[in-house]
Amino acid sequence: MGFSRYLLKRLVYAFIVVFVIMTFNFAIFRLMPGDATKMIIDPTFTPEAIAELRRQFGLDDPPLVQYFKYIGNLFKFDMGLSFSTRRPVVNELKERLPNTIVLFLTSFIFTTIIGISVGIYTASKRGTFGDNFVTGAGLFAYAVPAFWIQLLLLMLFGYYIPILPIHGTMSAPPPDGFFLQFLDRIHHLILPAGSNVLVAFGSWALYTRNTMLEALGQDYIVTARAKGLEENVVLRHHALRSVLPPIVTLIFGALPGMVSGAVITETIFSWHGVGKYLMDAVMMQDYPAAQGAFYLIALAVVICNLAADIVYGIVDPRIRVGEGGAK
Amino acid sequence: MSQNKTKTDMSAPTFWEQYRRKPLGMIGLAIVLVYVFVAIFAPFLTRYSPKQILLADRIAAPIWFRSVVPQYKDAPPTIRAELGPSKWVVSEATGGRLTSDEIDGNAVTVIEFEPVPITMTDESISEGEDDEFQYGDYEGEPSKSVVELSYPIAYDFNPPRTFGSTFNYWIDGSPDSKTELECVIETPEGKEYSLWGKSYSGAVSNQPARVDSRDLTLKQRLGLTIFDDPAPKIFSSKGDYRLILRANSTSGDEPTRVYISNAEFYIPGMVHGLLGADHMGSDLWTQLVYGTRVSLSIGLSAAAISVAVGTAVGIICGYLGGIVDEFMMRVVDVLLAIPTLPILIILGAILGKSVWNIVLLIAAFAWMGTARLVRSQTLSLRERVFVEAAKASGASDAYVMVVHILPNVLPLVFAGMVLRIPSAILTEASLSFLGLGDPRVATWGRMLHNARGFGAFTTLAWWWLVPPGLAITLLSLAFVFIGNTVNEILNPRYRERS
Repeated sequence: MGFSRYLLKRLVYAFIVVFVIMTFNFAIFRLMPGDATKMIIDPTFTPEAIAELRRQFGLDDPPLVQYFKYIGNLFKFDMGLSFSTRRPVVNELKERLPNTIVLFLTSFIFTTIIGISVGIYTASKRGTFGDNFVTGAGLFAYAVPAFWIQLLLLMLFGYYIPILPIHGTMSAPPPDGFFLQFLDRIHHLILPAGSNVLVAFGSWALYTRNTMLEALGQDYIVTARAKGLEENVVLRHHALRSVLPPIVTLIFGALPGMVSGAVITETIFSWHGVGKYLMDAVMMQDYPAAQGAFYLIALAVVICNLAADIVYGIVDPRIRVGEGGAK
Repeated sequence: MSQNKTKTDMSAPTFWEQYRRKPLGMIGLAIVLVYVFVAIFAPFLTRYSPKQILLADRIAAPIWFRSVVPQYKDAPPTIRAELGPSKWVVSEATGGRLTSDEIDGNAVTVIEFEPVPITMTDESISEGEDDEFQYGDYEGEPSKSVVELSYPIAYDFNPPRTFGSTFNYWIDGSPDSKTELECVIETPEGKEYSLWGKSYSGAVSNQPARVDSRDLTLKQRLGLTIFDDPAPKIFSSKGDYRLILRANSTSGDEPTRVYISNAEFYIPGMVHGLLGADHMGSDLWTQLVYGTRVSLSIGLSAAAISVAVGTAVGIICGYLGGIVDEFMMRVVDVLLAIPTLPILIILGAILGKSVWNIVLLIAAFAWMGTARLVRSQTLSLRERVFVEAAKASGASDAYVMVVHILPNVLPLVFAGMVLRIPSAILTEASLSFLGLGDPRVATWGRMLHNARGFGAFTTLAWWWLVPPGLAITLLSLAFVFIGNTVNEILNPRYRERS
């Protein structure tokens, strides 16, 4: 009962956010300098051709009609035609989305596994080295520009010691055979995903370690130890259980940031994904394409937030009862 | 300012007393002070301006590479000589002399030929006027006047990639005079390379002359193919070279004068300055130093604006409550759910690339956290006795908010602002790196943008890539240290939050 109400609230809220993003997306078209068609309409076009183009892009309707048409189309994932390729934006995004998901999931899984393991390990083995290492890694993740580390790694492993490919998601032409193609893709994935992991795992390690240390100071841990339980059992059955909710929250809470960061990572490594598509579209003033890519990224963030709220509600029962402030 | 402080009763001297005992805080403060110093005294820390280009060869290495990296041991630094009248050595003067003139404050080199009554055949007059002048055609002609100016170049380095020379010239003379100009480089072995030559009859108005070793016309003149490079060929050995400007004239009834202004000879260095040069030959150390200004001011102002907005919203929402609070908190929720970097990219591209736009955009998407924090603090302050008392004695809402609530949230806000600065600096650097920064100002992000886009990778120019990132990292770390220390002192309960 309490949980379904909470869920419904989150859903409504997510819907509102999506609506705001759609409205914002529509407003971009109005904000931008000059006429939306100036990119595609050549002065040599005949008036009839211009009129036809304006009709195709729906620029002759009153603004309010345009607005509702736009929202309706977005719900159907109809994002219009790209100015530069004249292809439906949604088709182009569909081609790129799998690449982005592969990069994102790889980075994400390795970051969380490594970060949380390091955090738990250093918390259980208290000592100056672990402390310094985790604090250093945490500061590193916070203060160092991620794109700079990526540039340095790219120069090191792509140019100084050229063992990794410098751009793209696969070789052109791709090697024959499924297995070789798979290996080729992994080869291309190492640098972008690896650099993502390197710059991000520190904050996870620091957070996990702090939460863990806090939990280890609790009375029930002292009691468990006093009972003569093995340290391993104490860690795994008592401490870990109580730190799981905050860590799970962190995992989902960090998703939006990582989705955002995809734009830079993909741009640096010329990764054929949605983030690079957004960047290219912005640079070429291809507004339908930029809007489409932004909408997709924002949608992903909203879904991640929703997932975070739901998981948070499951792992921490207190949240279902109290007032909304889930974050 | 306030008489009603409750939680943190701390005067500035006591705060400082506690702060100075924290080593990390002091380190952070020292680093920030160094950056501030660099930002203020930027013009005194470098001889160049960040906009100056062609100071060196493209992607020149730092000059200290010569003493550290073996392959740069004899790499040429930039040689640039402004050739005013006093710089020239007259190596030959027959029937003419070197003088100087001053025009618009510029010293102009003048070669003055004495008038010579002509006794020439019709054939020699009808010779082509603009033919490229070939030295040696006029051997043995007695009426010929020659003035040869030379400039010694001591060259003790490996062959350069390019060299060049520019000057302006004009000729005053009677219509029947005939003048030839030639620009030559003489190697230590005595071999002459003719780089440029013109031949005129009568007076000539101001003309620019440009010698560039990469020009196709020069390669043809020297009998090279388009794939050859004249610079390494001419400056192939170490020793004393001479740049020679030769003028011949068969003067008419009046004296002929050849004027030469703004003359310059240069060999762009393959090593340059503290940190080398970028793809345009612009000094990287200068860009780094001036970038400090931009990063500091953008970081500070974006953080200050966002925290000011967040504080105002937080206090108003927390104190007034009701529908205002409900609405603003939903706005905060929505803004927090929008991915920051993508929206900044789009808005940055649409609104135009100016520093001020970037500051406002960063601030616009960074005030929500402060608003939440301040609001929750205000909610608890609202219930305190001193607020009740103030309200009971008839104080207005605005008065209570400004005089009673604000001073009590300030410690929290102050630490929050310091910790907001590094993220503002990083966001600005990211945007500039993506090419959305103000193209008119040198920033660290822009340096990295250029490094990536204009050949730092293929030339392995790590000295172009490393310094800007280090500068960003060090400054961010310093603000994190300061922010954490301030938090420890002012808001012990919130220590874990940062």
